[in-house]
Amino acid sequence: MTLTRRSFLTAAGLSVAALGTAASCTSPTTANPGKLTLWYTSGGLADTVVADAGQRFGELYPSQVSGQLKQRLLAALAGEAYLPDITMLGDDIATYFADTAHFTDLRSLGADTVKDQYLPWKWRAGTSPDGFQLGFPIDVGPAALYYRHDLFAQAGFPSEPDDVAAAVPTWDAYFDFGRRLQEKLPGRHLITDTKTVYTYSMAQEPQKYFTRDNAYLGDAPQVRRAWDRALTAFRSGLTAGYAGSQDPGSSVERHAAWNSGKELSFVNASWIVGELKKSAPGTAGKWRVCRAPGGAGNQGGSFLAITKYCPRPDQAFDVVRWLLSPENQPRSYLEAGLFPTSPAAFTDPRLLAPEPFFGGQATMAVLGKAAREVKPAYFSPWDIAISDTFTDELANVELAGKDPGRAWDDARRSVERLLTRQGVL
Amino acid sequence: MATLTRPDAPVRVTTPPRSKRWRYLPQYLAIAPFFVLFAVFGLYPVLYSLYLALQRWDGVGPMKFVGLGNFQFLVTDPVFWDSIGNTLVIWVMSTIPMTALALLIAVGLHSSIRFKGAFRIAYFLPNVTSIVAMSLVFGSIFSSEFGILNWLLGLVGIDPVQWLTDPWAIRGAISIMIVWRWVGYNAIIFLAGLQALPSDVYEAARVDGAGPVRTFFRITLPLLRPVLLFSVVMSAISGLQIFTESQILLGNRGGPDEAGMTMVLYFYNNAFVNSDFGYGAAIAWGIFVVVVLFAVLNWRLIQRPGFLKAGR
Repeated sequence: MTLTRRSFLTAAGLSVAALGTAASCTSPTTANPGKLTLWYTSGGLADTVVADAGQRFGELYPSQVSGQLKQRLLAALAGEAYLPDITMLGDDIATYFADTAHFTDLRSLGADTVKDQYLPWKWRAGTSPDGFQLGFPIDVGPAALYYRHDLFAQAGFPSEPDDVAAAVPTWDAYFDFGRRLQEKLPGRHLITDTKTVYTYSMAQEPQKYFTRDNAYLGDAPQVRRAWDRALTAFRSGLTAGYAGSQDPGSSVERHAAWNSGKELSFVNASWIVGELKKSAPGTAGKWRVCRAPGGAGNQGGSFLAITKYCPRPDQAFDVVRWLLSPENQPRSYLEAGLFPTSPAAFTDPRLLAPEPFFGGQATMAVLGKAAREVKPAYFSPWDIAISDTFTDELANVELAGKDPGRAWDDARRSVERLLTRQGVL
Repeated sequence: MATLTRPDAPVRVTTPPRSKRWRYLPQYLAIAPFFVLFAVFGLYPVLYSLYLALQRWDGVGPMKFVGLGNFQFLVTDPVFWDSIGNTLVIWVMSTIPMTALALLIAVGLHSSIRFKGAFRIAYFLPNVTSIVAMSLVFGSIFSSEFGILNWLLGLVGIDPVQWLTDPWAIRGAISIMIVWRWVGYNAIIFLAGLQALPSDVYEAARVDGAGPVRTFFRITLPLLRPVLLFSVVMSAISGLQIFTESQILLGNRGGPDEAGMTMVLYFYNNAFVNSDFGYGAAIAWGIFVVVVLFAVLNWRLIQRPGFLKAGR
């Protein structure tokens, strides 16, 4: 056959069409058919543990997704193609509770047999209101008070963890303590910003913004309480008010304040430690940790979930169970700062070793106790957006001089508008 | 219709209707790639976003039709109106100094200096630098207590500015980043314009005894008008889409007082951070309306009689 223009174009057209149909036929539901694809964010799982799992379970295909895991997951779910078999879900797991049809109920894979090995409140956070077990707990973020032992002592204040904890049992006591300490050490701050006060005050509450059957609590006393505490801290001049970074905790100003000793103390979840060590290595040995004023609270923490598109959910569950087993959690904590969700790990000798960065203190004693004491709470799909609205308005008061009364009204109005638009109210 | 023709009649070449339709197939195929790609990646998403704007959708579950509800919210949404205001303010705050500075640089580069090529590359470099990396660097530069900018201001006796917390300083900081990024690009455009100007006009001016300043304002500037217009239109196009500078410097929520909340950032925040895709699509269409208004304004400006004629 001679090659004419016509036959060439026909052939070209046909091959394009053939390619098109072939592609649409082979577009796989899961990203790597025959393998178990695991999506996790960088630092979301400990890399060596994942590598070991890869050795142990030959079919595992771990894939580290950058910060945009959620967007990739949503796109894959909407297209029902190139889906992971196992995926990480963040502390916004509640936003998937309405869409559990895309996932496998871990109870059907025997999750209840290991349930007792994990913190009950964390396990429950991965359960949807209708009882679907969506998430298997990776880590938690128990909050504690981090403070500068050397500077507290220098000012003649209580400086040993137990003494400090006893001196600041409540937020009010902490504010009072702060005022007195700041007189001794002017130009320094005991509180990062109004946002941390609000966030960690809410973290201690057993009830957040919604009831378990998604009824909005409106003007709930715990919200007002957290708001007033944040304002009190600001009005007393206790907050430093750093701003200007994607996640406000990692701002340049705050890192500088850690190094210069201007930030005397702060309340934060345990995941801050990695950042603290990295940004202020010169302060090693000077920090201590004690119980947070106001009691135990949790901020953040992720889960692993298995999609319903996974052809071998039992095997996937074996992988998940192994990755997050009480035996592997101490390694994950030491390597990636992933605080264990299994209380058995709190007493692991490796985690109870004295830590030079904290002057030889074994912080697990404090943090593990806090993690055990966290009260179970229900997080609705809208909690993060609502919390952001309130803390934005607090930042407006703290940094832009907004009238607190107006800020409160604006925050409430924004939340109501948001919930009305979403069809909740 | 088949008609019988006498065998001795001259053969008339007629194309049957079917082959007529297919005769231009190769040509159509040749231009098809653009239209196919446009339909898939341009037209379809545009139409789909209009459909999406009428729905409530979290990106996973079923969509729920809400009619014009999203648009009703949009027009009463104070944050959206603020974001339009912020975008326009930042655009003005960046375009005016940038144009002036770019002109100055262009005139400087136009005069006979050494290492011209090196200077041109140096000025153009910010335009092709990773904007995310630069925003992180600027984050340190603008740091209120430890930033180099406040240190420099301190040297000349100016009080430190709260670059990332004061609402107006935030807009200033974003504008500075935009100026930094686009000044070289515009200087190169102006330089091209300058080089195209006829030299006889300048010779005449010199003969008439006009000094350099007078020549600049009376001859260079009026002759450069079309180029200036081009640069303003280009800066309007990029100015209405300000996003990365705000997002990296201030986060998804625009910083204190939402001073850095631009239209596109608000869209991103709703669609991709809050997974509120229906409302996000509605915001996108709101942005579209603003851009259309701007385009009409631009068009009217250019269509004004004698606008492009230099004021000789």
